[in-house]
Amino acid sequence: MKEFTYTVTDPNGIHARPAGVLVKQLKNFSSSVTIFKGDKNVDMKKLLALMGLGVKQGDTVTVKVEGEDEEACVAELLKAFQENF
Amino acid sequence: MALDYRKCAQEIVDHIGGRDNVAQAAHCATRLRLVIKDNSKVDKEYLDNIDGVKGMFESNGQLQLIIGTGTVNKVYDEFLAITGMTAATKDDVKAAAAAKQPLWKRLLKPIGDVFVPILPAIVASGLLMGIVEALAKIPGLNFGDTAWFAFLDMMANTAFAFLPVIVAISAARVFGGNIFLGAVIGLMMVHTGLLNGWNVGSADAINSFFGVTDGVIPTWNLFGNIKIGNYVLGSISRHGYQGHVIPVILSIFCMSKIEKWLHKHVPEMIDLFVTPICTVFVTSLLTFIVIGPIFAGLETVVLNVAEVMVKNPIGAMAMGAIYPVTVVMGLHHMYNVIEAGMLSSVGLNTWMPIASAANFAQFGACLAVGLKVRSAKTKSVAVPSSMSAALGITEPAIFGVNLRFYKPFIAGMVGGAVGAVFGAITGIGATAYGVTGIPGYLTVNNPLVYTILLAVSGGIAFVGTWMFFHEEEKKAPVAAPAAKEENFVGETIISCEAGKVAAPVKGQVVAQDQIPDETFASGVLGQGVGILPADETVYAPYDGTISSVADSKHAVGITGAGDMELLIHVGVDTVAMNGEGFEVLVADGDTVKAGQPILRFSKEKIKAAGHPDIVVVLLTNSDDYNNVTV
Repeated sequence: MKEFTYTVTDPNGIHARPAGVLVKQLKNFSSSVTIFKGDKNVDMKKLLALMGLGVKQGDTVTVKVEGEDEEACVAELLKAFQENF
Repeated sequence: MALDYRKCAQEIVDHIGGRDNVAQAAHCATRLRLVIKDNSKVDKEYLDNIDGVKGMFESNGQLQLIIGTGTVNKVYDEFLAITGMTAATKDDVKAAAAAKQPLWKRLLKPIGDVFVPILPAIVASGLLMGIVEALAKIPGLNFGDTAWFAFLDMMANTAFAFLPVIVAISAARVFGGNIFLGAVIGLMMVHTGLLNGWNVGSADAINSFFGVTDGVIPTWNLFGNIKIGNYVLGSISRHGYQGHVIPVILSIFCMSKIEKWLHKHVPEMIDLFVTPICTVFVTSLLTFIVIGPIFAGLETVVLNVAEVMVKNPIGAMAMGAIYPVTVVMGLHHMYNVIEAGMLSSVGLNTWMPIASAANFAQFGACLAVGLKVRSAKTKSVAVPSSMSAALGITEPAIFGVNLRFYKPFIAGMVGGAVGAVFGAITGIGATAYGVTGIPGYLTVNNPLVYTILLAVSGGIAFVGTWMFFHEEEKKAPVAAPAAKEENFVGETIISCEAGKVAAPVKGQVVAQDQIPDETFASGVLGQGVGILPADETVYAPYDGTISSVADSKHAVGITGAGDMELLIHVGVDTVAMNGEGFEVLVADGDTVKAGQPILRFSKEKIKAAGHPDIVVVLLTNSDDYNNVTV
């Protein structure tokens, strides 16, 4: 299992459209991806669940990835986070 | 030097981090006690030096400012006014709204406000009392002689025997008086040193209670024997006000006014003991010299009128109609004098059918309210209240339900009038007194006619209420069905094997690749359509659960049958508007029905912010289905 922590800098937080792109990318991986914010966590492959988490600018989230392609998945995710959020 | 309370409170608010930093505020005899969210925002040094603050310390997580006896409550009032933390501001809004209503509605409102909180007590007692009294009347059972009866009877009538106390406490809360002073006034009105209000019409009870022989209640003449006509100035008839409601509410209303006035005008130093004693003294005099006697006098008039009226059908009809009014005024205590008189003279109680018709009509009206309303709260009050009324105890139904909505009360008066005239024409009567409604069967001389009487009076009241009473519709969801028909077209825009998605907003549907945003148009977020909105309300496109509402209010996710995950995104790049121009009508986790409004938006504001107002509807997990048609 791999995990990383990221603090959102985008003023709009993780909102609908880029979140959708993120979810779409994740669906190419077989690993399970869970995102944690505070004491809440959701399956990051579900767009509505991710949006429901309501991640805002300044929030720190932890993402845990588990599966065969976890290495590649985390690399992709980090890139996506840095580009979009 | 008089302290400027407002200035003092303002300075406190300014130096504790403002209203947002206060979790709770209260005060005791000398100190203002504040629960602060973030202590770092509190400027302690400044607070200590505010004119009026004699000292400060922190204890038990509270910031306590010593202000002083008699002053602290005034600073507290100002503090609440400045921060807007009090329920009083809500009351102000309510009062402003109430001021627009006609006078008689404004007069009825406090009665309802006073009665609603005490309903559990009187519904419990009312039902129990009806059952116990009915059991006692069953011939051959001899329940009335058992210890159980004696105990249950005592238990059941407690709330009624001391009703003025309960009413007084509730009224003090409603009118903003001190509830303990209110309790004192209420207790005084049923003091054991006074003749029980129910026995005012009984010469025997008067004789044994006061040790007199003439059956007249002795008086206390406070100012000697100064007479104005037949009226002795300051004369107090030594009886209590058991079962009274209106005089109690009036007394407590006066008490609250007096108390507030005194608080304002009595110097702080002596406020703590001068105000209560003066309040109780003045209110007691008012209650026993003015308010009480007016109602007691009215009661005698009602009794005399009723005795004449019941002798003919027209009079009976009128009595059937005004009977509940006399209950409201607390003028119904002496009716059993009429009944007892009838039984001893002709052996038949023809008053009972009139009372029964009137009471059963209130039952019918109350039941109609209970069955018709949607509000669970009103329903939960109206249904048990109507049961109590069917057993002859109408106070919960009248005060808690019918009078508040007034139309059921009037329907009940009509039903009572018709039932009463029917009773008078058929000559039905009872062989005892004390029970009405369903328990009345045990005493009537013709059960069949009695059944018709109950059916007529209750039925008319029920139908009348059903037709003319409408629940006040204040909230948006109630208004929704009308909007739904107009603007929720229900046209299917997306379908897959899991179900269908209806257009959530009225307007022209455009293909996905026409959406002016690459991400949406490309289908990367799932298949869907765009809608150029012709209306500004988004409706639920199917029955489902709200799974996410964006903080910026411009997008809502709804999970439906077969795990369909639908994203409704209003406008493009509208996240940048931060919720301005959007109003979300649901919350995460809400269950919604197709056609229920879930979000409102302003096309104008979206345009002004420079964004396209197209509503994007996407089935985000369309990949999970094999057969998606857009």
